[in-house]
Amino acid sequence: MSEFLKVLEDQVQIVALIFMATVYTIRLIWMFRFKAGKEITDSVGSRRVGVAYSMMNVVMPWAMESARKNLNFYAQFVIFHAGVAVAIAATFIIPYWPEFFEITPIMRIFQLIVGAAFAVGVIRLIRRITNPSMRIISTPDDYFSIILMTVWFASGVFAIPNEYKVSEWPLIIFFSMTTLFLVYVPFSKISHYLYYPFTRYFLGKTMGHRDVFPRKRGGEEPAGL
Amino acid sequence: MSDKSINISDVVNLPLDIKEQKKAIEQKAPSVVEGKVKVYNQDNDNVKQLLEMLKNKLNRQSVISLVGCVHCGMCADSCHYSLARPHDPTMTPAYKADQIRQIFKRHFDWTGRIFPWWVHAKTPKDDEDLNRLKNVVFGTCTACRRCTLNCPMGVDTAVLIRLTRGLLTELGIVPEGVFVVSKDQWETGNQMGVSQEEYIETIEWQEEEAQDELEDPNFKIPIDKEDCDFIYTVNPREIKYDPRSIGYACKVFYHAGESWTMPSWGWDMTNFGLFSGDDKLGGFVAKNLYEAAKRLRAKRIVISECGHGYRSTRWEGYNWAQYKQDIPSESVLTTLIRYIDQGRIKVDPSKNPLPITYHDSCNLARSGDLTEEPRWLLERICTDFREMYPNRADNFCCTGGGGALSMVEYKPLRMEVAKVKADQLTATGAKLVCTSCHNCVDGLNDLIKHYKLDIKVVQILDLVADAMVVPNKNEKK
Repeated sequence: MSEFLKVLEDQVQIVALIFMATVYTIRLIWMFRFKAGKEITDSVGSRRVGVAYSMMNVVMPWAMESARKNLNFYAQFVIFHAGVAVAIAATFIIPYWPEFFEITPIMRIFQLIVGAAFAVGVIRLIRRITNPSMRIISTPDDYFSIILMTVWFASGVFAIPNEYKVSEWPLIIFFSMTTLFLVYVPFSKISHYLYYPFTRYFLGKTMGHRDVFPRKRGGEEPAGL
Repeated sequence: MSDKSINISDVVNLPLDIKEQKKAIEQKAPSVVEGKVKVYNQDNDNVKQLLEMLKNKLNRQSVISLVGCVHCGMCADSCHYSLARPHDPTMTPAYKADQIRQIFKRHFDWTGRIFPWWVHAKTPKDDEDLNRLKNVVFGTCTACRRCTLNCPMGVDTAVLIRLTRGLLTELGIVPEGVFVVSKDQWETGNQMGVSQEEYIETIEWQEEEAQDELEDPNFKIPIDKEDCDFIYTVNPREIKYDPRSIGYACKVFYHAGESWTMPSWGWDMTNFGLFSGDDKLGGFVAKNLYEAAKRLRAKRIVISECGHGYRSTRWEGYNWAQYKQDIPSESVLTTLIRYIDQGRIKVDPSKNPLPITYHDSCNLARSGDLTEEPRWLLERICTDFREMYPNRADNFCCTGGGGALSMVEYKPLRMEVAKVKADQLTATGAKLVCTSCHNCVDGLNDLIKHYKLDIKVVQILDLVADAMVVPNKNEKK
């Protein structure tokens, strides 16, 4: 393995990660400088249950009409984010635990998931370009983010086998993309996972307090008698 | 549908109408003179003022909703505007919220400040842009919160719409109806400008009607009576246009042997501050009511059937007014359940035999806690209750929410998008649609007339009063 690839897989990634973490920390400090609105009314439901329900929303497609009626879209969401998790895991496995990918079935499963995520990325990009409702809300950042992710997945498919002896290029491309990804993410919409716990927390707190969450599916006895 | 569809640019470019504002200035309307209601001043740097106010109004919840949108477009399928106008991408809730999000990004978010074009961050150029913003947030959204509950990220678009409305209200860049109703509520304490005399006269009229109905010449609607079990607060629409509902309440309270009163001031449980985004007005109106309960030493506040009134009084009002909730407040639905549950009134469902469906008010179902209570009652007072689908927190807006009924200039668009609700109603095959909201009554009546549906709107209190088994005098003794 060339010295360049070694540094790219290791030190460069660590520096990029530190950069990302630093920017995220600044971002969170900025966000917390805004005062939180306070609810002073007596509750009917439970804030804690509401928050838990809201947070778990992501794994409850039946709980939200938009997911319930678009299970295909929800499946794409699951595959895409599983691809993200697996590709991120690969960036640690390749430099620090390379023997893991020597187990061929595991390596193939990783490739399959990242490959499926790539396919979803292409579908999502086409949707963003062709659907007028999507086009009107899409910014250059939205297009660039989905292209970046999709290309990154593609590079991941070729990098996961970790065959640097055959050619280093797939790994160089994958880790270069990862570096770009880590540096760009805090400034883009991709950083939504940083906000997700907060948006869901606030919504869950409000709706739990008012007993709107957990959503009622019928049959419950009226409360507040 | 697109052939008959309204051209959205006609809506978005509706000019700012300030005839009523000018009239109020000429007449030296107290709320305008005192600066409670803001009027438009073209000599001001309104864009600069808007940005300053935005800075002060941002809180953590709104900021997180401003930065959290990933533009996934899932909200499009949850909005009745968007569903009824699939050819019009500007109806997508994310697009509407983006109108304020773009301004936020340009001035408060780092990527937008450095590379505005990259995230479509921008500043309104002039008052024309602010007027267009007004038409988007007041004219193309009822703030029903359906998109909020369907957002995978949990972005509260309705909160952003209200935030923007509040900023524009402070600049007087509002639809005429919003200005007039806000002025009335500041000046008279109620949003229909009902005078004290008119209020008392209507109560007395209903008292006489109730005396005949109850065959009890001694029956009184107590006004400002102290130490009652509750104060009953109503929607001014009941005083002005539909006092029958007060009559129904009288009948039910009488037979339940209730100790109740109506306050002479602080009786309006509706709150235009919710719609205009004006927290000061919201706090003023809500406080009137809370203070009335305190003054009369009532044990609770009972709110008649109104979605936004319930939400404003039970939930938002305490926060706007920063008022400690020392006296509990409840919907009249809860009161009715208590009566039936405790056997204080008897009901016979066979008295309401027509097929009936229930329309969940957005403010009760998505921003309140009342979805099962009306159903509990309907199952006991009607013989043929049919669910409407979707229902509860998934129900569609009556299309009259968010103050839309007061903004006549947007009515053609409102009626077009009401197709979603009209289809929902038709599918039930019901002859009656019941709702627990006066605003929804008007919203539904508008669309029933527009789409020529064979269905009548009723409220729960009407049905309970009709279903009541009234003991004869001897039995009662």
